[in-house]
Amino acid sequence: MNSEFVFIALPVSALIAPSAFAVQYLTVDQAQKAIFPGKSFTGSPIKLTGDQRKAIEQASGVRVLRDEQHVWRVSGGGWFIVDEVVGKHEFITYAAGLTANGSIKQIEIMDYRETYGGQIRDQKWRVQFVGKTSKSTLKLDSDIKNISGATLSCRHITDGVKRLLAFYEIALKH
Amino acid sequence: MRSRSNIEVRRCRPLLGTFVEITACGRDERFLARGIEAGFAVIATVNRLMSFHDPLSDVSRMNRDAFPKGVKVHPWTWQVMKVSKRFAERSHGTFDITVAPTLTAWNYLPRYGYQFSPTASSRDIFLRRNYEVFFCRSLIVDLGGIAKGFAIDRAVDALKENGIECGTVNAGGDLRTFGPTSQLIHLRHPTDPTRIAGAVRLRERAMATSAIYFQRRKHRGRYVSPLLDGRNDQAACKLISVTVAAAECMTGDALTKVVFALREKAAGLLAQYGADALLLECDGAPSWMFHSSCDTPDRTRFD
Repeated sequence: MNSEFVFIALPVSALIAPSAFAVQYLTVDQAQKAIFPGKSFTGSPIKLTGDQRKAIEQASGVRVLRDEQHVWRVSGGGWFIVDEVVGKHEFITYAAGLTANGSIKQIEIMDYRETYGGQIRDQKWRVQFVGKTSKSTLKLDSDIKNISGATLSCRHITDGVKRLLAFYEIALKH
Repeated sequence: MRSRSNIEVRRCRPLLGTFVEITACGRDERFLARGIEAGFAVIATVNRLMSFHDPLSDVSRMNRDAFPKGVKVHPWTWQVMKVSKRFAERSHGTFDITVAPTLTAWNYLPRYGYQFSPTASSRDIFLRRNYEVFFCRSLIVDLGGIAKGFAIDRAVDALKENGIECGTVNAGGDLRTFGPTSQLIHLRHPTDPTRIAGAVRLRERAMATSAIYFQRRKHRGRYVSPLLDGRNDQAACKLISVTVAAAECMTGDALTKVVFALREKAAGLLAQYGADALLLECDGAPSWMFHSSCDTPDRTRFD
C-alpha cells in the first residue's frame, strides 16, 4: 500500500495556472432539503433600514455589507437564510437554518471560492459566480478535488453567523 | 458519466476553526447524507470537547483546574491526552501540547489570564485510569496539533458504522480516505498557496500537511509561526511543507510537526508509526522522501 506514496510532479503549466479554487456543494434548493428535510419554504428578501443596519452592527460587532438579506420562512416554524462572506482570499456562500426560537440549527457551506491576487475585492469578479449552476462554477480547476495543506480559517463564517443572529433579533423576530 | 450505482455526496461545514468537508460515495443519496451527518456530528463533539476557545470544553476545564486539583474529562479527550504524551516522549519533547503559553504570547491563541510555569512540559501531565487528568505543575495545553486528526479518524469510524464504503474526510487540509478507490491529493506550494506543487495518490490512508504560508507573521521584528519545536519553543519559519501519510490521521497530524523540526532525523519515529513523509523545499521541489517499510501499521492503541 505504501508503494503508492509517490510524489507526482505536475506539468509546468499546471504549476503556474491555479489562481482560484472553487467548489459548489449545494444549490439553494439542496441546502433547504439538507437543513429542513420535508419542509416547504416561503421566500422573501428583507430590506434593512439604516437604523436596523446600525443596530445589527452594534449588536454583533460585524459590519453589514448589504441592505438585503435572502430569507425563507420554513413551514412548521424556523428560518432558512442564504448569506455571503468575503475574506481576504475567500468568497463563500452559506446557508443557515434557524429554529423557531432563533437558535442555529445547522450551517452548510453552499459555495466555496478561494482566490489570490486581489480579485476577491472586485465586485465584478464576485458577480460572475452569483446564480451560476454547479457546472459553471466547477469549471475552475475541476480536477482538483482534495488539497492537503492548511486551509483558510473559518473566522469569517463565524462572524457572518454572529451577524445573522443579530439580524434575527432585530429584523426577523417580530 | 454518473450512474445510479455511483453517486458522490459532498458536504462542507465550518468546524474545528476551519472548513470540514466530507465526501461519501455509494448508491443511495439519502443513505450517504445520513452517514455524512453522523460524521459531522462526531466532529462537532470533538470540537466541543477540545476547543481552546470554548470555556466549557475539556481543554479549558483542564487549563483552569487540572492543577492542582485534577479534572475528569471525556474518554476521547483522555485518549488524545494519552497519545499526545506518548508522542512527546517518543519525539523527546519535539511534539508537545504544553507550548500554548508561547502561542498566546504571539497572539495565535487568546490569553484568558491562565497561570502557568514557563518550564512545565508534557512530563508534568498525569492521566488516571478513571479519565481524570492531573497536572503536577501549573501549565496550559492546546490540542490544536492533534485534535483535528483525531476528529477525522472518529468521523471515518462513524461513516463506516453507518455503512458508507468509500469516502474522504478533509478538515482544513488534513484528510483521510477510505474505500477501494484511490484519490489524487494535491499539495499546495510551500511558499505560495496559490499554486499547486504536485500531488500524491492515496488509498485507505490518512495524510496531513503542515506549512506556514497562512500563519507566519512578524512578532517584535522577527518571523514567528504556530509550529513550535517543544524542546526550545523555537518557531518553524522556513517556508517548506511537510506531508505525512499514515494509517490514522491523528498520527499524521502529530508527525508533521515532528518532521518539521527534525527533518531527516524523524525517520526512526516515522518507521515506528508506519508513516511516510515528504518534504517540499521553498521552490516546491521534494528534497526528502521517507517510505516506511512497515506495510500494516498498527492502529494507535488506547490503554
